[in-house]
Amino acid sequence: MEIVRNVTRHKLRSFLTISGIVIGVLALTTMGALAENFNALLDGGVKYFGSSIQVGPPDGTSAPLLPISKVDEIKQVAGVGAAFPTYSFQAKPGSAPSFSFGVPDTIVAGDPAENDWAALKITYAQGHALDTSTTGQVVLGSTIDKEFGKKIGDTIDLPIRPPDAKPDFVNHTFTVVGILNVTRTAPDTFAYINVVDGQTLLKDSLPATIRDQIPVAQVAEAIDVYGRPGSSISDLDKLAVQINTQVSGVKATKPSDIVNAFKSGGAIFTAITTAAALLALIIGGLSVVNTMFMAVAERVREIGLKKAVGATTLNIMGEFLFEATLIGVVGGVVGYGLGAAITVFLNATTPPGQSTLFLITPALTILAIGFATVLGALAGILPAWRAARLDPVTALRNE
Amino acid sequence: MADVRLVELTKHYRRGTEVIRALDGVTVDIEKGEFVAVVGRSGSGKTTMLDLMGLLLKPTSGSLFIDGIDTARLGDRERAHMRARRVGFVFQEYNLLSGLNVLENVMLPLRYVQNGKKTGAARAVELIDRVGLSDRIRHRPTELSGGQAQRVAIARSMVNSPSLILLDEPTGAVDTETAQQLVDLLKRLNREDKVTIVIVTHDLDIAAQANRNIRLKDGKVLADERVEAAGVA
Repeated sequence: MEIVRNVTRHKLRSFLTISGIVIGVLALTTMGALAENFNALLDGGVKYFGSSIQVGPPDGTSAPLLPISKVDEIKQVAGVGAAFPTYSFQAKPGSAPSFSFGVPDTIVAGDPAENDWAALKITYAQGHALDTSTTGQVVLGSTIDKEFGKKIGDTIDLPIRPPDAKPDFVNHTFTVVGILNVTRTAPDTFAYINVVDGQTLLKDSLPATIRDQIPVAQVAEAIDVYGRPGSSISDLDKLAVQINTQVSGVKATKPSDIVNAFKSGGAIFTAITTAAALLALIIGGLSVVNTMFMAVAERVREIGLKKAVGATTLNIMGEFLFEATLIGVVGGVVGYGLGAAITVFLNATTPPGQSTLFLITPALTILAIGFATVLGALAGILPAWRAARLDPVTALRNE
Repeated sequence: MADVRLVELTKHYRRGTEVIRALDGVTVDIEKGEFVAVVGRSGSGKTTMLDLMGLLLKPTSGSLFIDGIDTARLGDRERAHMRARRVGFVFQEYNLLSGLNVLENVMLPLRYVQNGKKTGAARAVELIDRVGLSDRIRHRPTELSGGQAQRVAIARSMVNSPSLILLDEPTGAVDTETAQQLVDLLKRLNREDKVTIVIVTHDLDIAAQANRNIRLKDGKVLADERVEAAGVA
């Protein structure tokens, strides 16, 4: 109780000191939430690309298409569990580019059975998976669904017609049969259609001059390959090498190459955002050091008295350390609370169709409050040590 | 056995090349329950002697025994524990903590004794009653007169039931009438609790009310004499 009174004794000074910590923790919380959100996005990529091999046309190919027969060839390679042709298209072609941490709205055509093999499982908030034998169905990710405000049974024209659409622009009407749960990664902005519809959109996307010359039912944009159940990422790396060796006219990318690219991008982003926030917090910590030194200077006689009535060096150190820690805790809790409130507000006001920018996680909560607490305690060590080492006789007669 | 025993106790300070002999080979035995006044001019070594007896200072040489314990053998931690359990202090400037009320100030030394708060709270209340401040128990030091503040300090010095109370000019900041009231209180506590009291004072009227006077000069004992017809039982 006395420690609380000591902190509140100089209200303005304590307020300013705690404000320093609050600003630092607020910065740490918001920047950390930004990094956590970005990392969640990357984790999805790591999970997806770490469990499959991406196969595309070899480098330098003029038309980025693969004969669909390559799917069966790849399936013949020892160790391959499954292979699926895939197609993807911009859901909003011609839309003005906007800065976003999320993946742009994308139409993905594939076999729903791929979900059984993928490490990143999609689950349904409403409705059901695509029926492979029925065309004109779509399953919407959570963000794209929110953007267009669709519910099961509604229809949506895909791709979305841009305001300045060319005369030959074509889109098709799809019925929403499923809406996905939030994943905080790529599927949130995906609209899933089946392979046949994907081939139709592929045909629409080709230049008019060659549109009728390409048998779209015989080509794929890419092939997702899965190893046998239980395959590790190094197994998949070896499998990618085998595919490149045994199947001509394709290029299989090692999953580890993609995963490492994701991880290094995430690490750099996290380092930059966290460093900026930590800098602010350390400046706040220095204000705690200053405040505690002032507190020691003001309470020299009090320290002398406490020593005279039996306080040990550790008792005195403990009291000042606890006081500094209390400043850190209060600053941490308030800063975290404000930071969390800001991120919740900004997420809530994110326009429909844009991915939210912030993600508060338990780890971030522990980091923000824990770091402020530890910082407060560390900032108190030197002043507390000085207090504890005061000579009681000198301290008692201090004017 | 003497309650407090000083044997050739010496404290020298160094100021540049000069050596200050604040206390110079003092040997004194103080029996349990004595009321001793230490008198002398400024710089005679009174306060140094008190600080040494209260284990706030370490002697340059010589020995100090409290309740038969050779304090020279004690480390800093043990000295702190001994101050908490066996010694009470009263200072001229009261040294009450402004953020604490009367009861909390009296209970301050209990913090530094194991289970002190649990066992000592009732004693703190009793002592506040004995020094006549029951109606001020929740007051802050700024709401007390000088005499009241010093009575709080006296109650604080006794809360851990020490065997020795050391007072450094406790009446130096109050008027004559209040000073006499404080001395009467000290005499009563000395009589009722059999606690040993050593008071440093310039005031010869107060010294005359102790049952023994130790007169210091230049760090040495100039005289050590019983006081006739002292008001202490």
